[in-house]
Amino acid sequence: MRLAYLWDSRKCIACGACIINCAANYPELRFEKEPNPMWKWLGANIRRVIREKGKPELRLLSCQHCENAPCVTACPTGASYIEPETGLVKLNKDKCIGCKSCIVACPYGARWLHPKTMYPEKCPGPVCEQLIARGEEPLCVAVCPAEARDFGDIDDPQSSISQKIKRHRVSRMLEHLGTEPKYFVVR
Amino acid sequence: MVSLTRRDFVKLAGAFAGLALVGGAAYAARTQVQRMALAQKKEPLELQYVRTFCSMCGALCGIEVVLNGGKPIAVRAIDGQPQTGACGRGASLPWLYDNPLRLRKPLKRVGEKGEGKFVEVDWDTALNEIAAKLKAIVEKHGFKSIAITHHDIWSGYMGLFQYLFGTPNRVDHSGSCFGHGTVARRHTFGIEHHRFVDPDYDNANYVLAVGRTISTASMGVVNRVMRNENLRIVVVDPRAPEIAFTSAEWIPIIPGTDAAFLLSLIHIIISERLYDEEFLMRFTNAPFLIKPDGRPLVEADIREGGGTTVYLVMDAAATPPSLADHRRATRPLLLLPEERREVTLKDGSSVRVKTAFELLAERAAKYPPAEASKITGIPKDTIVRIAREFAAYRGVADDTWYAAKNGNEYDVVRALLILNALVGNIDRRGGLVFREDQGFPSFVTERTVEGRRVAETVYGARMPEAMFADRHAPRVDRVKYPENTSTFDVVFDAILKGDPYPIKALFLIGSSPMAREMKTSKVIEAYKNLELLVVIDVLPQDDVDYADYVLPDTIFLERDETTDIKWSLHAATHVQKKMLDPPPDVDARDALWIMFEIARRAFPERAYALGWKDEYADHKRYREEFMKSFEEAVKSRLASNWRMDVAVVRRELDEKGYIMFKPKEFGVRPYRTALPTPSGKVEIYSLRAVTVGMDPLPDQRPPLYTLPKAPNEFYLVNGKSPNVSVHAALMEPMKYLIERSVWMNPKDAERLGIKDGDLIELEGIDTGVKRRARVKVTERVREGVLFTYAQSAGRTSKLLPPDHFAREGINPHHLNDARPAPGTGGNTHNTSVRVRKVM
Ligand code: SF4
Ligand code: SF4
Ligand code: SF4
Repeated sequence: MRLAYLWDSRKCIACGACIINCAANYPELRFEKEPNPMWKWLGANIRRVIREKGKPELRLLSCQHCENAPCVTACPTGASYIEPETGLVKLNKDKCIGCKSCIVACPYGARWLHPKTMYPEKCPGPVCEQLIARGEEPLCVAVCPAEARDFGDIDDPQSSISQKIKRHRVSRMLEHLGTEPKYFVVR
Repeated sequence: MVSLTRRDFVKLAGAFAGLALVGGAAYAARTQVQRMALAQKKEPLELQYVRTFCSMCGALCGIEVVLNGGKPIAVRAIDGQPQTGACGRGASLPWLYDNPLRLRKPLKRVGEKGEGKFVEVDWDTALNEIAAKLKAIVEKHGFKSIAITHHDIWSGYMGLFQYLFGTPNRVDHSGSCFGHGTVARRHTFGIEHHRFVDPDYDNANYVLAVGRTISTASMGVVNRVMRNENLRIVVVDPRAPEIAFTSAEWIPIIPGTDAAFLLSLIHIIISERLYDEEFLMRFTNAPFLIKPDGRPLVEADIREGGGTTVYLVMDAAATPPSLADHRRATRPLLLLPEERREVTLKDGSSVRVKTAFELLAERAAKYPPAEASKITGIPKDTIVRIAREFAAYRGVADDTWYAAKNGNEYDVVRALLILNALVGNIDRRGGLVFREDQGFPSFVTERTVEGRRVAETVYGARMPEAMFADRHAPRVDRVKYPENTSTFDVVFDAILKGDPYPIKALFLIGSSPMAREMKTSKVIEAYKNLELLVVIDVLPQDDVDYADYVLPDTIFLERDETTDIKWSLHAATHVQKKMLDPPPDVDARDALWIMFEIARRAFPERAYALGWKDEYADHKRYREEFMKSFEEAVKSRLASNWRMDVAVVRRELDEKGYIMFKPKEFGVRPYRTALPTPSGKVEIYSLRAVTVGMDPLPDQRPPLYTLPKAPNEFYLVNGKSPNVSVHAALMEPMKYLIERSVWMNPKDAERLGIKDGDLIELEGIDTGVKRRARVKVTERVREGVLFTYAQSAGRTSKLLPPDHFAREGINPHHLNDARPAPGTGGNTHNTSVRVRKVM
């Protein structure tokens, strides 16, 4: 099983529901003055990037679950690892020494520093991790009004994410870096 | 679609990321909190999913609230629900529940109005004092001096409040939103509300959205739009609404010129004969003969004793074509042969007639593409292409929603509706269709029981006519604008000048006129002149500072409610479920209870007549008895309206959160049954407009503000986003999601030497009011235009912390003037400003 995310840029209306729902992973940061100082953002694993030049262009960025993950390679203790059962990139906080190598190594800027625990954080957050383990959708996918998001097993050709990858023009971000990301963008 | 090059993208991501790591001191703190973090990781979730409908804005989308350990943490969409999915506003509801800003206790003003100085009082004190003041006001000025305004929260109950307080003056927000469109819909279809007329997004091929940001309103609509893989979307707007990020095409337009654009499309469709002739002949009044005075030719014109509403057409079924009743004609001509134009009237005189269609063609011919291009700033070729695409795809033009912008939107919506009729796409699959009748009971109706007129509530209480007081007096705004849905600006005139009669007491229920109405200085002046201003809300909107009393309402997670599913074409109902009690330090009560309790203390007989009892002073008892029987009554009325077993209705609502009564049936009106227009048909040429002295055909009319001329003058337009509502704008996530800057096109910025992030001063050209804001330089706004989000920025309430993010930016209503549109009474929210860089 290789679990992956999909985001359909043709459908996303930038409503931010996925981002805000993602913040449910960090309830302790809800009313913090600066919940995510590194990103100057709310305590969530998804960022919004808007291109202001030319046709309006939007990207929603979160961990790409790289199969060849620079963050994992950079981690000196093995705290960042690829979960063999799911293919998701995870962080074992028991092993993390807080060196931030993974944050620097990630070419997508997908990791941020939790201002209270000082651990790196990334998608999936602690709540979504448990939801995924129960076979439920992560919170960003479950809320999306535009059905612009999907999550599932790309090894299963019947899964809805596999079907979408097959049917649509799909690309992956910064593919040329050889990270083998598993975050598919429909264009 | 242009795609980002990788290099671009890396740059973008880099610009945003700014990988500034937090320093070592903070790192040292880690060990102390490590345990907490680990504990948090291992803490099992205790999840519960409760279905309800979101009330973070007025769309009321069906959602599932995710509770963890009994606290709301997130929301989800509901598979199969006709209006589902949440936007950023809905997703921020967990922040509403225990928000530090929540109004916690009844407040009584102690300082000057506007100072924001209050003391907490207990409920009895607040309600007794309000009741005493209200009684004194009514004794002096009558019941009609009480006004109530609201947005969508509790709106179903407002009818009850009108009887409770014996006043006609329940004046809602619609003039600031869809009012212009409502009048246009009434004048074309005889159907008013924007929800009753909507595109069939599920089956449409092509949606043209002019001044309508689909991405802003109901997420159920977004869901239908985005599920339709074959749909092409074209949005015409001075700024790129969020939907422009999708595969939609965005066409920037000069503000206030939408009608010229649409009339040009109409012109092309008519001159290239791309219209649906059959539809126009049979189901619209396009073939009606119009006399030189603009009135339709009727049977009474040509024959003694003829019908005054028997509209005549030239029927080509006879040779030569001859006059006929439009209902009997089989080939009514759209274009008259010259020799048949002369009609002899019953007095022997003769007139030359034209068909409504010919008059429309003449009107539209004022806007050939080259001319329209000059007015709108849209390239000529684009106008021609859109017209041809629209006809070829048999498109549907959205009939707008939040349309109060330039004051000329009545014409815009009339043109939009006509455009749909031209391609015959009315109440057909994929067209502009009429929503199913909901069969949802009104909470109070007047009827005659045993020869006596009564106002009967859904739960069976009856108020006799003798107690209606001023309920049927003319509403203040209707006196001035009889065609409108509401013009709240007139309420301010009534307060300030007693025109047409004085308003002395005002209730704001979950709505903020300072965020929604034109010319804030006038709003404030009016507030200062009121004898009693009562705000019932959950958060401190700017208006609170001027209130005599502020009463904390419950939020929608804390109470039950049943309502129809508003943004679906089907007949369906859903329920809101109480899943929480207010936090322990929040002493909130339902607005419904508050209004009844004020009435019981001021005018007890009125409250009793509507079924209230002294025991309901106990909020718990009111919930258990009054509210419960209210809710039960709604369900049993629904069941009887749909001829269903009430147990089934109850079960479906309990188990699924919603119930479908009837799926949308296409092709009903105007095909099998008549529309409620004077002619029973779609009115290209509005007969109602003729009656009330308005132009029966749309035209491009100037915006109701001074147009920008000098190089440093701009249009200032505002709009919404899926993050904007008066309540959501104060939620913490919006600190990051809503941009509170003023958007400026790079070309304008360069010309004025302004850079992204610079501080500028904006001066309203019509008001001279000055405000400051940061600039965002972006191509998401057209040259010559500045954009800012409505209702989200430039907040002023003293009850907000001094550094609250919602204080940033500007409230555009501070800069504009109060200009209701003549005829419709709709608001004018855009304006023009002079810009100066602040050094
Ligand atoms: S996106 Fe970044 S954090 Fe995620 S797996 Fe790749 S390198 Fe690691
Ligand atoms: S919830 Fe869906 S539509 Fe909204 S921002 Fe996220 S992906 Fe886009
Ligand atoms: S549009 Fe958004 S805020 Fe409004 S009801 Fe729907 S989910 Fe809630």
